[in-house]
Amino acid sequence: MKNWPWAILAPAFIFVLIGIFSPWLMTHDPAAQDYAALLEGPGWAHWLGTDYLGRDMFSRIIGGARTSLVAMVFVLVAALAIGVVIGSFAGYVGGKTELVLISVIDIALALPSLVIALALMGVFSGANFDWMSDYWKMIVALTMAWWANYARMSRAVVVAELQQPYIEAARVMGASHIWIFTRHILPHVLGLVVVYASADAGALVLAIATLSFLGLGVAPPTPEWGQMLVDGMSYIEENAALVIIPGLALTAVVVSFNLLGEAFALQKVPRAVRGRLLSRKKAARAAEEVARKVVEA
Amino acid sequence: MTAPIYQVEGLVIDLYTPTVSVRAVDGAGFHVAPGETLAIVGESGSGKTVMTLGPLGLLPEGVAVDLRGTARADGKDILAMSPAELSRLRGGFFGVIFQDPMSALNPMLKIGPQLAEQARRFAGLSAAEACKEAVSLLARSGIPDPEDRYDRYPHELSGGMLQRAMIALALAARPRVLIADEPTTALDATVQAQILALIRQIQKEDGIAVILITHDIGAVSVLADRVAVLYAGQVAEEGSAIDVLTAPVHPYTRGLLASVPDFRSDSASGTKEIPGIPPNQAQLEAGCRFADRCDRVQPQCNTRRPRLQTVGMGVVPHRVACPVVIAAEGIVTHD
Amino acid sequence: MQRMFMRRVGLALLLMLAATALTFWLVTAAPGNVAALIAERAAGAGADGEMIAKIADDLGLNDPLPLRYARWLGDALTGDFGISLRTGKPMAEEFGERIPMTLALLTGGGVLALVLSLAMGIAGAASNGGGIDRVLHGMALVGASTPNFFVAAMLVIVFSVWLGWVPTFGVSGLTSWLLPWITIALFPASVLARVVRVNLQDTMSRPFATTGFAKGLTRGAVLLREALPNIAIPYMTTFGAQFTLMIIGAIVVERVFGLNGVGAFFIEAIRFRDFIGMQATLTLFVVFFVSINLIVDLLAMLADPRLRRPRKA
Repeated sequence: MKNWPWAILAPAFIFVLIGIFSPWLMTHDPAAQDYAALLEGPGWAHWLGTDYLGRDMFSRIIGGARTSLVAMVFVLVAALAIGVVIGSFAGYVGGKTELVLISVIDIALALPSLVIALALMGVFSGANFDWMSDYWKMIVALTMAWWANYARMSRAVVVAELQQPYIEAARVMGASHIWIFTRHILPHVLGLVVVYASADAGALVLAIATLSFLGLGVAPPTPEWGQMLVDGMSYIEENAALVIIPGLALTAVVVSFNLLGEAFALQKVPRAVRGRLLSRKKAARAAEEVARKVVEA
Repeated sequence: MTAPIYQVEGLVIDLYTPTVSVRAVDGAGFHVAPGETLAIVGESGSGKTVMTLGPLGLLPEGVAVDLRGTARADGKDILAMSPAELSRLRGGFFGVIFQDPMSALNPMLKIGPQLAEQARRFAGLSAAEACKEAVSLLARSGIPDPEDRYDRYPHELSGGMLQRAMIALALAARPRVLIADEPTTALDATVQAQILALIRQIQKEDGIAVILITHDIGAVSVLADRVAVLYAGQVAEEGSAIDVLTAPVHPYTRGLLASVPDFRSDSASGTKEIPGIPPNQAQLEAGCRFADRCDRVQPQCNTRRPRLQTVGMGVVPHRVACPVVIAAEGIVTHD
Repeated sequence: MQRMFMRRVGLALLLMLAATALTFWLVTAAPGNVAALIAERAAGAGADGEMIAKIADDLGLNDPLPLRYARWLGDALTGDFGISLRTGKPMAEEFGERIPMTLALLTGGGVLALVLSLAMGIAGAASNGGGIDRVLHGMALVGASTPNFFVAAMLVIVFSVWLGWVPTFGVSGLTSWLLPWITIALFPASVLARVVRVNLQDTMSRPFATTGFAKGLTRGAVLLREALPNIAIPYMTTFGAQFTLMIIGAIVVERVFGLNGVGAFFIEAIRFRDFIGMQATLTLFVVFFVSINLIVDLLAMLADPRLRRPRKA
């Protein structure tokens, strides 16, 4: 690790690569059922065996990586965008608007994100939301449960940055609000939030899998690890690998993102990577934020 | 002269953090006898604290320490002690007054019970006796209404009162060596004098050895019998307080004294600053450490490390590590 | 102190009010026609418009939302949370049967997390960079990254299927409680162990720790008697947050082990569009989260002598 600090990025990077190239990596159609080969152990025909419908486990694991990756990216980007917009707006405008928005953020943070996501999945089960597919319901529910943290963080950065003397100077020189915000403040906000998001990705992968495990997320036959695990639970006496393999895949991905977050927190990430995302000073602040997250989870 | 009770010789201490390594103490030493007050003087970062507390293992955690040389307490080799022996020595034989009482006293612990525990563990008192002893220690340290203060937390006392409590804590185990590490720097000017007077009074009454670590020449002149001047981890000059303060030889000591306003009546020229900054102890070079800032510097200063030579005829040896001044001013040496 | 106390309690009540109002709006207004749902449950496919209209009228579903919330709140304050659309039983009765199970899960898991995290964190700090420290650090990282349903599954596979020590489903006797407790305790224990370790390390490098050594205490004694009290406040705050998060663990565990708790009821309510059940359960969760946070805040205030006994001006 010491001689090759980039190694910290490797596990998360491999997950992303598998997710992107999964159609070319799969040996079988992950949804194809084969009643001649039910609950088979690992072998040449099926590298990781088959499940209770004779589907190829290896291909389903690879396909599940893509499901997780895509959902995670959607939610992360959307939550980040909403959070940054609302949080920055609150911090920049101040006054009563800020107070109202902070209250909303506080209420949204009063319950754990996953419980909010679950409740929203319940709301979306109502007749008024039948136009959304289950997959999109999950994306929207998670986004609505996830944005508040980013809003809180963005607002804090904006408020801190507005107190810097150079903002006052820019204002005196006649810079417009839009100019000050986009040129001076937004880069700071994004720097911090993007670093935080890299550590948050693991928690999100976990949330997606948990929803599916509870039967409230990705619907079959789309391959998804939490779904595979809960399906496998019925067959643990016959073939425990059906549970262990998706569980290990999930744990490996979450560990790799948490390692990344911890590396940011301890500032072990190579400067080249950090530098591209944000300046040194901002890196320190981001590290603090991530450290708090890692510590408090 | 009585035999020294705490004695350090040829001490070398390297400190390592993840990013830098520093030779904080480089072949320095000192000794102190019962009933005597030794002042260790130097700028911040000169290694005063590391030299005095390092052998006792009292440096902050998180810094790796590499330590060589000899250190003896009451004739026993400190550096060869087991952790348990060293702990007992720190608790019972030494008492330490730290620089900033606000951060050196545990905010979650009441003052009195800590004193009582020290008295119980190291002075062999019963619980009831120890409690009484704690109150009388507080009273002796000049804390009014000691029964009330016994149950107080540090945040409920003022800085001066806290330093008195710190002194009481250091004395609770009836130590034989009292180490005061810049005991007044964090305090108001009016309180400083009171604290110094208290330390002097205790020293007189108990006849214990006192090591005063300071950069305050005023404090030295009030308290010290002997003085050791430390520069960049090495002893530049040492001797009786009178010799060193009134007849300094080393250019650094002279500069240090000249920088104190109105310390000596003959400094008509007012205060003088020593030009330059202390050397970076991360980069060690041969020769005299002070050479770069010295107004008496000669070519050989940069190549040969000066050794301590005894000058004058006093009972307390006056030793100086500057052959240039000794030669230039025709000072007689004895070794 | 007393004013700060009252302020915190007031804020907590306000937060409960706002959060329940928000969930009420979301759960009862947004999903669509609850009356249609009830009619459908009652009469199957034969529910007609007249029947739906009558049910809506009876339940006051046509009244303005604030009025409906006020009515709901009044009922809730007297312990009436409505009748579950799924089971047909009053929610108060459902809760009466299920809360003890969930509470037993949370309590056992909380105690286990407390003991484990303190043991791991202190052992790590005592080892201070040594082998034990590194192993514990790795364990904490994996523990904080393993999905709790995978933990539950692995425990079942190992202890029920392979070793046959405990039944696969349900609880009977203390040993069968152990698997659910371990499952929900692992994540918070890992996170809290890191809190203990990191804060102890930080505290051990503070000047008062050096004073502790100067008092003649061994490193172990300084760690336990001087440093440990100083991490109480960050530990309690994080413990509170983790304890509330354990409700997610309870939801998962109740499903895996087939336990009839509040969490399992919540998931069933979601799946069967039991909006009354959902609203009642969410209210219960809000009260739980807000009061745990409040209790932790107040305890942290009491644990800190600087807040408990502010210096007289």
